Amino acid sequence: MVALVITLALFFDFTNGFHDTANAMATPIATGAIKPKTAVALAAVLNLVGAFLSTEVAKTVSGGIIREGADGVQITPDIIFAGLMGAILWNMITWLKGLPSSSSHALFGGLIGAAIAGIGLNSVNFVSVVQKVLLPAVFAPVIAAVVAYVCTRLAYALTSRHDPETGSKLTQKRGGFRTGQVFTSSLVALAHGTNDAQKTMGIITLVLISAGSQAPGSGPQLWVIGACALAIAVGTYSGGWRIIRTLGSGLTEVKPAQGFAAETSTAAAILASSHLGFALSTTHVASGSVIGSGMGRRGTSVHWATAGKIAIGWLFTLPAAGIVGALTAMLVHTGTVGFVIAAVAGTAAVVYMFIASGRSPVGHHNAVEVDEAGHAVRFAKKKAAAVSRSNNPKGGQK
Amino acid sequence: MKWLELVVVAGATFVAAVTVVVLYALGVRLTAIAGDVGTNQPRWVRPLSYACFGLCGIAVLFGLYLIIPYFSK
Repeated sequence: MVALVITLALFFDFTNGFHDTANAMATPIATGAIKPKTAVALAAVLNLVGAFLSTEVAKTVSGGIIREGADGVQITPDIIFAGLMGAILWNMITWLKGLPSSSSHALFGGLIGAAIAGIGLNSVNFVSVVQKVLLPAVFAPVIAAVVAYVCTRLAYALTSRHDPETGSKLTQKRGGFRTGQVFTSSLVALAHGTNDAQKTMGIITLVLISAGSQAPGSGPQLWVIGACALAIAVGTYSGGWRIIRTLGSGLTEVKPAQGFAAETSTAAAILASSHLGFALSTTHVASGSVIGSGMGRRGTSVHWATAGKIAIGWLFTLPAAGIVGALTAMLVHTGTVGFVIAAVAGTAAVVYMFIASGRSPVGHHNAVEVDEAGHAVRFAKKKAAAVSRSNNPKGGQK
Repeated sequence: MKWLELVVVAGATFVAAVTVVVLYALGVRLTAIAGDVGTNQPRWVRPLSYACFGLCGIAVLFGLYLIIPYFSK
């Protein structure tokens, strides 16, 4: 059981990795700042480094959402198994749909469902759910969007060049932002590594403690850190191309200065929240930033239909993962047979989704379309600028 | 609800992101000016653009210093 939960936890880490590659690398891929394969490799390495940099493992897996600990309920490996099952399946479904959704929400949802089904309603601290999960999910994208909007505006205002005499537009020379994107997106990837690998480390450590093979209250062992870092890095490298496509080109058309502003906002928000102790989800922040920067650049539109789909995905994350978690917990509760059924059904569902994804493959080769579009835009830039000037006479005076 | 923390996080995000973007954008702008041909621009333009990029880098490194527990504890 312990070995199985650890395997499942590492697989969750893997799905977490490929689900969240997009947060850091969608925008630089979209602007052609980094080649797709290089981008995911860079993100993978930085996730690996990030996982080792910070091993501040939360003392409680759920961060107080489930009343665990001395005076609360005992979280058993069964519950964690069921919770992970819910989280993994939800991550796979959203990946198949190309929706960026929060892996931590999926994990919380799975654990909450499993705890309710396995222990009872009183095991969940609902005040904590609202405070730590629901409200941050509302505020994270809003904060990120506002900051990204202001940053995009500033970046364009500061670099817009006009001839002082004629007032006509000079070559804008914003190519420097493309170089900058390499650094800002790296920062996001690093921040992701310092955050997300910790969750799996925490889970595995808790399982080991509950199995009695590790002293209570001790930190994660070195092999746990290594395995988690590796799992998230491999996941990142395998690249969630579907989600990269959504974030990189589905929400809005991204230009280098815009991408730079969005990535800076994402990195700043994640780093600020993890340093100041108000946890925000990387995915929520990254999606918000992309939307905000899309609103900030003149002549771009945000595809609100896609944004709406993403928002609906977020709404469903907790309940959907929770239901799968609850069903799994009930199956496991019935004994060995139920446990085997749950394990087999879960594996079958994952395999099925991989096969289903093969029917409409999205890989680095066709996420490249975005990249090539970026190059095409670069060639046609002067013409496009002329068009936008004639369409928008105000722009010429600024 | 930890409203204060939310405000602090929002404020810190805003200040950090704006600092980095403004510095980098100034750097890009000054590099562009320095690269213009046929105009006589002051000699300090190019060094100043490097200074902007440098400050921007320092701001990012300071952020990293803050979040990596190894340094800050």
